[in-house]
Amino acid sequence: MNTNTNISNLILIPILIPFISAFLILLISEKTKYLKEVLSIAVALLCFIASITLLRLVGENPIIYQIPWLGYREMMAFRVDHLSAFLLFAVSMFSTLISIYAISVKNKGYSKIFYFLLLLTQSAAAGSVLSDNLIAMLFFWESMVVFLYVYIYISGEGYAVRKAALKTFLINGISDIAMMIGIVIVGYISDTYLMSSISSNKLILSGWGTIAYIMLLIGALTKAGAFPFHTWIPDAALNSNAAFMAYIPAAIDKLLGIYFLARISIYLYSLNTTMQVILMAIGAITILVAVMMALVQSDYKRLLSYHAVSQTGYMILGIGTLNPIGIAGGLFHMINHASYKSCLFMTSGAVERETGTNDISKLGGLFSRMPVTAICFIVAAASISGIAPFNGFFSKELVYKGTLASGWTLFFYAAELGSILTLASFLKLGHSVFFGSCPENLKDTKEAPYSMIIPMILLAAICIVFGFGADIPVSKFIEPSLSSLGVVVGNIELAGFHTDSLFIIFLVVVIIAVTNHIIGFRLSGKAYKSSDHIHHAPVLKETYAMADKGYFDIYEISRYIFAYFAGIMFKVDRFFDKLIDDIPSAITRWASEQLSRLQSASYRVSMFFIFLFIAIYLLYLGGIKWQ
Amino acid sequence: MAIDLISYSLVPLFAALIIPFIPRKHRRITEIIANITLLSGIINLGYVIIYYLVLNDYTSYTSDAFTTLMLFTIYLVGMAITFFSTYYEVEKDTNFSSYYSLILVSVSAMCSLVMSRDFFTLYIFMEALSVCSFALITSDSKTFSIEAAIKYFFLTFPASVLIIFGISLLMINYGTFDFDTIKFTSMNFLTFVSLSFIILGFLIKAGIVPFHFWTPDVYEGSYSPVSAYMAGIVTKVGGIYAIIKIVMLLSSYGFGSNLSKLLLFTGFLSVFVGAIAATVQKNMKRMLAYSSISQMGYIILAAATFSPIGIIAAVFHLINHATFKTVLFLNSACVEKSTGTTNMDELKGLEHRMPWTSWTSIIALFSTAGLPPLSGFWSKLLIILALWQSGHIFYAVAALIASVFTLAYFTIMQKKVFFGKLPEKFNDIKEAKYQLLIPVVVISLIIIFTGVFFNRVFPYFERILS
Repeated sequence: MNTNTNISNLILIPILIPFISAFLILLISEKTKYLKEVLSIAVALLCFIASITLLRLVGENPIIYQIPWLGYREMMAFRVDHLSAFLLFAVSMFSTLISIYAISVKNKGYSKIFYFLLLLTQSAAAGSVLSDNLIAMLFFWESMVVFLYVYIYISGEGYAVRKAALKTFLINGISDIAMMIGIVIVGYISDTYLMSSISSNKLILSGWGTIAYIMLLIGALTKAGAFPFHTWIPDAALNSNAAFMAYIPAAIDKLLGIYFLARISIYLYSLNTTMQVILMAIGAITILVAVMMALVQSDYKRLLSYHAVSQTGYMILGIGTLNPIGIAGGLFHMINHASYKSCLFMTSGAVERETGTNDISKLGGLFSRMPVTAICFIVAAASISGIAPFNGFFSKELVYKGTLASGWTLFFYAAELGSILTLASFLKLGHSVFFGSCPENLKDTKEAPYSMIIPMILLAAICIVFGFGADIPVSKFIEPSLSSLGVVVGNIELAGFHTDSLFIIFLVVVIIAVTNHIIGFRLSGKAYKSSDHIHHAPVLKETYAMADKGYFDIYEISRYIFAYFAGIMFKVDRFFDKLIDDIPSAITRWASEQLSRLQSASYRVSMFFIFLFIAIYLLYLGGIKWQ
Repeated sequence: MAIDLISYSLVPLFAALIIPFIPRKHRRITEIIANITLLSGIINLGYVIIYYLVLNDYTSYTSDAFTTLMLFTIYLVGMAITFFSTYYEVEKDTNFSSYYSLILVSVSAMCSLVMSRDFFTLYIFMEALSVCSFALITSDSKTFSIEAAIKYFFLTFPASVLIIFGISLLMINYGTFDFDTIKFTSMNFLTFVSLSFIILGFLIKAGIVPFHFWTPDVYEGSYSPVSAYMAGIVTKVGGIYAIIKIVMLLSSYGFGSNLSKLLLFTGFLSVFVGAIAATVQKNMKRMLAYSSISQMGYIILAAATFSPIGIIAAVFHLINHATFKTVLFLNSACVEKSTGTTNMDELKGLEHRMPWTSWTSIIALFSTAGLPPLSGFWSKLLIILALWQSGHIFYAVAALIASVFTLAYFTIMQKKVFFGKLPEKFNDIKEAKYQLLIPVVVISLIIIFTGVFFNRVFPYFERILS
């Protein structure tokens, strides 16, 4: 084990430096230009370099650093294995890119507060992935909820923003409480909070273990934004800015959620077939439900946010297969998704900044006006749709293979159907935003500023590099991560281009999606209406209407149930109030008035009473037996 | 009598005799003599008590420690009332020389009462105290006060008859009045009847339910400082003190189970009737009067356990009651002086104009209701503890429930008088003069310190009552 103090400092850099810098940023005046941005970028870059160094230093043995705290030697225990280092690398990379990108985002609220939150989030995310102690991890994990709330709250004014912020806070907060319960149970049944100690004697699903796993799963799924805990993401997309969306729901939350899902499902527990099916089903349902919703959206960011949910389904499906190929696919898809979805949200922010709107019905023909943004969009959209040879194709292929290897072909079909719809919705989005005829008021739209273009290009480049050279991330990140999770890879080929039956299916998928788009475009005549033949199909139309009203939203349902429950409890409370307050008060009042009336009697009555009581006293005396 | 302490009784008496010879136009001199007399006494007594409290060393303490403590309480309240009256000045036509004389004579009578070592002396000074009280109640020239005095006289005179009757029976039985020489070797019928008569008489004097008919009228009808004086100390020393004394006497012989039942029931009745009747009162002073009845019930309950801890609790609550009830009555006097009324329906929001009065009221009422760490909490705790330990669980629970009532009616009072929005008509009222606030604040501080430093106070009580 490597406990060199120099390396220990390296662990603290990504946690402490952003944390301290965040408060430094608060000292800078809002009017001072670029200083906050430069400081934030510099800090993120420093952490990025530290994470690369850590990634290189992690060998066969993980790096361990423990800070005694509150009387427990292992309270603040950090442990860097390949998976943690990989996650830290990703977190730092996205923080750097978003710091650059956010310079030109206009509706991000006070930039001081934005960068303050960005650095704190980075610090907390780094702490979450590096912690070995579950309680320390929870500490970092939960602190992010507050930042999430403030992020949304500061990005606008009005009822909708506050409502979205509150919704986000409640869903995440409650799921974190569930996670806390899970962690406490895990600590109780395994007698330690160190994940590395638990993993040497894995938990099984029985009794309290099952409850704990479900609680932890709720925490992980909510962070990742899976069905049915995803509903805050589309609401936040409407009411917040592109930088936030590209940073947290698209990148950080997915990274952390899937990281923790992988940790609990593979590292801490040895799951059984039932839980495997449940996980895969959650994945498949998430894919389909979210992509169906995404297909009919007319807002650029909201459409993307549903895809952010949908893609989570692939990762959960991949990890749920519990075989090396599937897990590799899930983890690979996680990093791929973060890169292309961040890129897509960045393009939405660029379009919003230049045109002032995110409504795709008011956009069109922007390719010639914003060529770089458009090309980045196309690359990222091709990646998310799984077009070969971009990165999404390879990770999805791994997920498909894993699903087929698990024997549950049903989920494979669901995933393929999701792919078709994903491609269809991106054809619709790309067609209506960047192609077709340009509206009059957008004729003189300009390209986005460099601060926006550079991160987009870098992310698009990652999509291409991870695609064409899929063996680089697989051999550098995924395979070591699998080994640190304890998964034996064996001789399976994870990267590389295979011209097998899956490739044929991929071609079929592309053909179906394109045909569907052409049909839709021909039927409606407008690109942004090209999904209307699905939207207005029988049964689906009613379902969509109900979904719009929030009938399937767990948050709205809970609110309704809680309101009803609160009504009943209010009645019960009134009853007890009557019982212990009103009735005794009335009796007391009555008695008190009677006693006061007695007081205002004349002397004769008073005297009479006094002599009466003296007589009673004496009679009482007469009846007492002496000792 | 306790001869070594007799100067505390004689000095006020001499001062009271001098005062009538001072010309009426030199009112200041009258006031100075009255104040100086009591102040010198309180400094002496305070030094003795605080000396032992601080040193926590009782080796050189005389057996009269309990008497000293009672004297201190009498002087404290007497001093507060005298000082307060000096600056109160509502009634221009009050006869001040007789007023101060009466206060000094009653202080002297009370001191003699607590110093007495036999029943007959006790009785004589109790009567002297009653006579002073009649006169003091009439010091307010309102007709209502004369009515109150008459009511007080008529409704308490049976007490004198009963007490003298009981004392006579004791004399027949034992041939002596002396506390120390009476040997209650066996509780025969005559002893029991005589003691019961004496206790009954003192219960009437104390205004315990069901002999409480005079108390609310007297406390409401008399001059405000006099109300504080009567409620704070006079009825306590004139009635309750003698009961505690008899209980102490009997408990050292191991008697009292039958008397115990009797007293417990009377105390319980008093606690509840006082508390319940207080909740709907419209007049602040009348509410305080009922509260006084209720609190005296607590003292009786504690004494009725006949256990050492019960006696400690009774004495401690008696002293606490003297402090917090004085504060509350003096505050009601301040309110009356500022606004001209004590009708709670007309009062509102005075805390904005009279913050000191409001805050001292809060301290006193919290102490009455038994909220830690104020002194009232400890005495109530001891009372409930004593009841519980001696097996009277029903009365212990009842005492606990009654303190909820206490808090309830005092919260009503505080809310009606001090909280809320200040009405237009009270816009130009002012806080009472600082001289009026001095006694209130000093006694409030005593309440707080007694409660906070209870670890020092309790051994002291344990020591002097052992």
